[in-house]
Amino acid sequence: MRMRNKTIRHLSLVFALMLFAGILAACNNGSGGSAQGSEQGSSSGNKGEKVTLQFYMLGDAPKDLPVIESEINKLAEADLNVNVKFNYTSWTDWDQKYKLLLSSGQPIDLIFTADWTFYQSYAKKGAFLPLDEILPKAAPALKSHVPEDMWNAVKINDKIYTVPSTWIEYVTEGIAYREDLREKYNLPKPESVETLEAYLEGIKANEPSMTPIADSNANHTHGIRQLTSKLVNTAGQLPYGLDIMYDTPSSITSYWGSAQHLEDLKTYKRWMDKGFFPKNVLNVKDTSNSLLQNGKSAVVLSGENPNKFNADVIKVQSTHPDWKLGYFPYPNAKGFAQPVHPIHNGFAIPRSSKNPEKALAFYEKLVTDKRYNWLTEYGVEGKNFEVQDGYYKMVGDAQTNGFPREGMNGWAWRNPDFMLYDKTFDDVLTMFEELDKIKKPDIFTGFAEDWTPYQAEKAALEQVEKQYLYPLNVGLVEDVEAGLNTFMEKAKQAGLEKIQTEYTKQWQEYLKSAGIQ
Amino acid sequence: MHTRARDSEFTLLFQMIAYSVIVILSIICLLPFLLILSGSFSSNESIVRDGYHLFPTDFSLEGYKMVFKFPTQVLKAYGVTVFTTVVGTALGLFLITMAGFVLQRKDFKYRNTFSFFIYFTTLFGGGLVPWYIMLANYFNLTDTYTVLIFPGLMTPFLIILMKNFIRSAVPEELIESAKIDGANDFRMYCSIVLKLAMPGIATVGLFLALGYWNDWFTSSLFINDPDMYQLQFYLYNTMNTITFIDQMAIGTGITLSQDVPTESTKMAMAIVVTGPILFLYPFVQRYFVKGLTIGAVKG
Repeated sequence: MRMRNKTIRHLSLVFALMLFAGILAACNNGSGGSAQGSEQGSSSGNKGEKVTLQFYMLGDAPKDLPVIESEINKLAEADLNVNVKFNYTSWTDWDQKYKLLLSSGQPIDLIFTADWTFYQSYAKKGAFLPLDEILPKAAPALKSHVPEDMWNAVKINDKIYTVPSTWIEYVTEGIAYREDLREKYNLPKPESVETLEAYLEGIKANEPSMTPIADSNANHTHGIRQLTSKLVNTAGQLPYGLDIMYDTPSSITSYWGSAQHLEDLKTYKRWMDKGFFPKNVLNVKDTSNSLLQNGKSAVVLSGENPNKFNADVIKVQSTHPDWKLGYFPYPNAKGFAQPVHPIHNGFAIPRSSKNPEKALAFYEKLVTDKRYNWLTEYGVEGKNFEVQDGYYKMVGDAQTNGFPREGMNGWAWRNPDFMLYDKTFDDVLTMFEELDKIKKPDIFTGFAEDWTPYQAEKAALEQVEKQYLYPLNVGLVEDVEAGLNTFMEKAKQAGLEKIQTEYTKQWQEYLKSAGIQ
Repeated sequence: MHTRARDSEFTLLFQMIAYSVIVILSIICLLPFLLILSGSFSSNESIVRDGYHLFPTDFSLEGYKMVFKFPTQVLKAYGVTVFTTVVGTALGLFLITMAGFVLQRKDFKYRNTFSFFIYFTTLFGGGLVPWYIMLANYFNLTDTYTVLIFPGLMTPFLIILMKNFIRSAVPEELIESAKIDGANDFRMYCSIVLKLAMPGIATVGLFLALGYWNDWFTSSLFINDPDMYQLQFYLYNTMNTITFIDQMAIGTGITLSQDVPTESTKMAMAIVVTGPILFLYPFVQRYFVKGLTIGAVKG
């Protein structure tokens, strides 16, 4: 009796386990079939070596992606005997996902890279495959399509890890302001700190309901820095409060704590007292652009690159046709403009890729074959877009069209020879032409900072910055000089000097290796 | 006589204080929800112009119209969430009650060893990266419904709760006498444990259902196919895209060809998302209090 009981117990345990495993397996087969099935199908396929490339992009997929994917796969299967699966990380936690994708060893064949996705540090850590040897073999057309100096510019430790985009654009910022109000009250054009202040004063006096500066997170500081100094980087925010001027890149000073810093902070304090910022500026949730578009503010000091400004103009034209917007590009104040660095948009092959040659060959098609390029940038001709007098024209509107212009976020495989522009983009292109005249190469983005030696100090400093510098930036501290002293003291305790010294050392090594004086 | 009057006086005073505290607290809890509700019924212009009000100043249904203008995506996300919630809760309840029943049986020789394995994971976890590698590379669960259900099935805390609950709700003697009457283990599980542990099951079930309904993290990590997004993630992602446009597009120069939802649309989406799970509470609530206290106190 006891014996029997025991066997039954054993049997039922086994049964329960089997049941559980069965449920899991059933779920897996039912829903995961698409991903796994294609892989298995490909390995036993008729031609024997058809592979499915895993392609990773940032952001959200457009609605019509399945259509585009099948069209592309028809072409790619005929040309290269490959299939492509386009995967999208969403904008939610994309940076964490990007990290996991690269660190988990998941087989990925192509992944988007940019300076803001930390291409340089991933390449340094060996997350990507060096392309120097594969390029001439697998993608000769791509190799010659990209100019030699661009290949050189993306090199990390003398190796190419990404295929840069060849379309040159400017993401330099500028001041966007309400031109109609300027004319109405006869104010000066805001093109220097003095005229900007006069303009803001005029707005405050004549339009009391407005908060003159559209601002969130104290972004205006970057704007003012670009208006008044000739820094190496375009965004006006060098890390750790350093000052590196474009003309003398090897001499580095500290902006934080300098006389200039104090003066700037006093300006911000004066502006707060005059009511140019909202009192709760550190908690503003609206975007600067929406504040401008809704007529709550008159000036945007940060984040307005030509492209974004153009979008604002189009938006305002439709909602408030009687308004006019003006724009002053910061490069005009600096005297030179830096186009985006080739690192800015690119595609790399992670080390985990099983088919690097095929991946590169496919990417070559994407860039240099017009059929592939138009399909992935603009969609299906006639269904998603039309070409009218050489301009891109969307079919329907953004709601009904399943694949808007560059809907796949294909910034990296833009090809200037095939590009189609919307008619409204002409103004941006004109601005680009103007900026082309004062063009100087970007010498900052090629630098790959390695913060492992001062990781703890960096984190501590970020806290200090938030706690002591942000309130100063928006003029919330009564005694500016004492406030700045407190901030410097706390920053030094957090290890500012160690960070600045180490950063300076790395920067100078980079200048030497890149041959920049 | 005298004391009794004093007593009832105190009772009355206590009740007055208790009721007013509860009323105030409930209002405080309800206010944010009311703000969202009123925001979802306001026109977007009035929100931008005057901010939120407790009662819509400018009544409009445009938020809801936007949400349901292209309902396929919202409905798909709804479908995924309902599916994972129902299947996950059912499967999870089955596994957790089974585990609880087994672990509290005195005649199960290895119950301490197994319990230790379960408790241990509450103290020491592998962390995010190994967890991701396990699910993505070894189990190959990327872009499957399994990945939305599987990781949440057995929560150590819920197993402990269930084990303690069964121990207190089902007396040892009852199992004993059932055994004498010839019931096998499955019989005991189905006819005795499941029936007596109903409050505990309702509690754990509610926890599981809430967990699945509110889950967005697994979608964020493992799902690339927009058709398989859970509702919460779909909403969260839409909101995040706006933040992204604000913060990242500055220096990157990338252009996003998406429509930014308006304030009222956001609020309407929030209502659409929270709505159904709100209706679950009243039905489970009567078990809820009992289940939680018994499970916790007599543990």
